[in-house]
Amino acid sequence: MSPRVRIALLALAALVLLPGAAEVIAGLPPFGSTIAQYGERINAITPEARHVANMVSAINFDLRGLDTLGEEFMLLAAITGTVVLLRGRRGEGNTGHAMRRPGRAVIPRSEAVILACRIAGPLTALFGLYVVLHATVTPGGGFQGGVILASGTLLIYLGEGYAGWRQAIHSHWLDALEGGGALLFALCGLVPMLTGAAFMQNILPLGIFRDLFSGGLMLVENLGVALAVTGGFTQLFLEFMEETRAADEAEEPGEESA
Amino acid sequence: MTVILPLLFLFTAISGTAVVLVRDPARQVFAIAVNGLVLAILFDGLQAPDVALSELAVGSAAVPLLFLVALMAVRTQSPEEKP
Amino acid sequence: MSVLPYAVAAWLFGIGLYGIATSRNFIHLVGCLGVCQSATYVLLLGLGYRWGGIAPIFYDHPPGTPAVDPVMQALVLTDIVVGATLTALLLVLTIQAHKRGGSLDPEKLRPMRAGGTSGRGQGASRVSDREQSTS
Repeated sequence: MSPRVRIALLALAALVLLPGAAEVIAGLPPFGSTIAQYGERINAITPEARHVANMVSAINFDLRGLDTLGEEFMLLAAITGTVVLLRGRRGEGNTGHAMRRPGRAVIPRSEAVILACRIAGPLTALFGLYVVLHATVTPGGGFQGGVILASGTLLIYLGEGYAGWRQAIHSHWLDALEGGGALLFALCGLVPMLTGAAFMQNILPLGIFRDLFSGGLMLVENLGVALAVTGGFTQLFLEFMEETRAADEAEEPGEESA
Repeated sequence: MTVILPLLFLFTAISGTAVVLVRDPARQVFAIAVNGLVLAILFDGLQAPDVALSELAVGSAAVPLLFLVALMAVRTQSPEEKP
Repeated sequence: MSVLPYAVAAWLFGIGLYGIATSRNFIHLVGCLGVCQSATYVLLLGLGYRWGGIAPIFYDHPPGTPAVDPVMQALVLTDIVVGATLTALLLVLTIQAHKRGGSLDPEKLRPMRAGGTSGRGQGASRVSDREQSTS
């Protein structure tokens, strides 16, 4: 199909669908006037019922925990697919040389970059842990904290180079983190059933409102999500970075990072 | 607040349009990062700090990095092609 | 103002689709898909907003203070993270397509065959539209 035909089709579809979209937008409640009844009820009931301050975490890990279980396995499936596709051709071995475009200069890493990364790396990790742990009290949780932690590991690559990055990050640990996190979340659903409760029922003591350890089972589920997201995203970065390495031993001396 | 939110929405529309209209992928990466940042600020303005945190980490750090690496992998893959 | 967020969401979705339809590079196309994705975030959070509402976190404010809708935020939050991994998956498919076909142009994508290097569109990857439409 030529681009022109495609644009014509798109314009046609837009022409047909625009009146419908306008109709729907006109039927929506005006922006900022009201919120859905479901959210309203959650805001009213959950702080007392679950002793947590962060409603978003309460929905993710307790009220709609089943949905998050599904999301968790979508994450696992997407990352597994990515890793399988990337490793399929390359194999699991890695090489020490970076690929480079011919004719492009390799600029040595400056000491300022190394210093900045060594300072910012631990701080990022600390902030990530803070975000993970305070899921039920302040904005944060396993999803956000996990991504922050995983991004923090990239500072190792930036500051220490490829060799240091491979030394610090082991693919097998990441597999264990990712799968273990998903398993922990699934177990959070199954273990309550052993005690006679419903699937994913919050059977642990709920703790004190506004306390770090409030929310009962939510804390465990949050930990599971944090492990899975940290492991998964770091695995993603690792495999993507592998893709920029030379496919086989090149005879040219590697760049200074090797 | 009544002025800031409409402005943020407009910024979002502009930055999203920029992502589409920047055709060169190497430049588009930066448009994507800026779009992620604008979205994060908008979400914060909409009283969604959780979402803003997530969008900030994903949209302006993780995803642009993935794009950069994909671009690099594609470009260095076939050195016999024109550089 | 009362419809601006919805209009912005519709615009983002539309411009993203336009980008997908006219894209000449798979990496650019994945970026356009991200714009479509962000349209859903804007729509959901716009629906969940209420003037004067606080964030749905009752740490500094006592429970019972009017807050915005937490359900929409929970939806968007998980989608952002899972969406990023799907972006990664699409980018990997792009890399694979480039490895097999030698081109990033959707116009030059050929069906994959068992032989592997089918439809190798080598050479100048940016041919003008008119030459493209003949194929």
